[in-house]
Amino acid sequence: MEDLAHASDAALVVAIGRWRQDALAEAYRRHGGAVFGLATRVVGDRTLAEEVVQEVFLRLWDTPDRFDPERGSLRSYLLAQCHGRSVDLIRSETSRRNREEREHRQRAEAGYDLEHEVWDLAVGDHVRDAMATLPVEERRAIELAYFGGHSYREVAALLGEPEGTVKSRIRSGLQRLRGGLTKAGIGAPT
Amino acid sequence: MTHEQLIELLGAYALDAVDDDERVAIEEHLRTCPRCRAEVQEHREVATLLAHSGADAPVGLWDRIVGSLDAAPPPLELAPVLPIAPVRRRWVPAAAVAVAAALIVAVLGVDLHHQTRRIDRLQAAVADPMATAFDRALDDPSSRVVTLSGARDVRAVITAKGIGYLRATGLPRLGADRTYQLWGKVGDQLVSLGVLGNEPTVVAFGAQSVTLLAITTELAGGVVSTQQQPLVSGTLS
Repeated sequence: MEDLAHASDAALVVAIGRWRQDALAEAYRRHGGAVFGLATRVVGDRTLAEEVVQEVFLRLWDTPDRFDPERGSLRSYLLAQCHGRSVDLIRSETSRRNREEREHRQRAEAGYDLEHEVWDLAVGDHVRDAMATLPVEERRAIELAYFGGHSYREVAALLGEPEGTVKSRIRSGLQRLRGGLTKAGIGAPT
Repeated sequence: MTHEQLIELLGAYALDAVDDDERVAIEEHLRTCPRCRAEVQEHREVATLLAHSGADAPVGLWDRIVGSLDAAPPPLELAPVLPIAPVRRRWVPAAAVAVAAALIVAVLGVDLHHQTRRIDRLQAAVADPMATAFDRALDDPSSRVVTLSGARDVRAVITAKGIGYLRATGLPRLGADRTYQLWGKVGDQLVSLGVLGNEPTVVAFGAQSVTLLAITTELAGGVVSTQQQPLVSGTLS
């Protein structure tokens, strides 16, 4: 375990379990950017996003055994934590107004268009291609739910669609994306 | 909710886009439904890719994170600091002291237990197939369990078919030029059962007709016959 830079994510988490700060630092180096990027997109505020990132990594430090490598990659675990926390934040009453303002701004600018984001080149291209093949209704439902932090009921209200339709679209869209990405040979980044 | 209704919600659930009562119902269901669990995981992996940005983590933020970490590791060294002093004061009833002491032991015990568990569970979580094989052998009532005692105890389990598994994760890491080596007594000879490396994990070995297990430290690469005193050893009943 000397060379943490080449350790697997699972091995890193074991080292974190032994209170090795350098292992947490390596996990942060690998995944901190993605976690921060997602938090920023969902909460729309750099300071709040930093708080979320801090919480996510402190939680990994305190309870590393909550990560189960058999259930998925460390990145997907950290991002799920980050997303849950970000959504909690923006759904709380205090930030509702900020959020409404932000949404106005987003609509006025580029909408929820993924293509304006900076992507990691190789993976980003494939993800964008896969996204582009989705029916537009599925794509918008996923974007509003995932990056907008809206519940499917809110998405339904925003789009003026029945709730049942929206929840089905989210699910079928995710399945279609998965199919597209698998075909392109893209798995989850580790 | 019916299973069908729950399944329809799995995508929204994976994106944290369901209401609280729906979330509770889904999580309850996930506990007993591996198929739905797998589906949620798939959706999350897709979401992970959507969130994939090439950006680096902010450097200043790391300094704040590291600044708020507890000085690690927690409580183990607390023992000498705990207030045992009242024992000397006559007016503290002995029973109360005993209760207090028992509480301290209980609390420390829990902490120690918690820490050991944290590490053990993580170890297992690395999904080393060998570790899984070890656990499976351990659960099998026809297996024999051998404790190799010494400075630190090491456990081995030997299946009815004569396949042994040794969990040597408790042994301290050696320098790169040293290795642990496992020996077995067969008849009156000590034979090498395997070179374990300087940071041993779980290994399998042939345990047919072995009557004793021992571990020594040797020069990296191992030796054919050892001159060393065993670090730990245990007899097979």
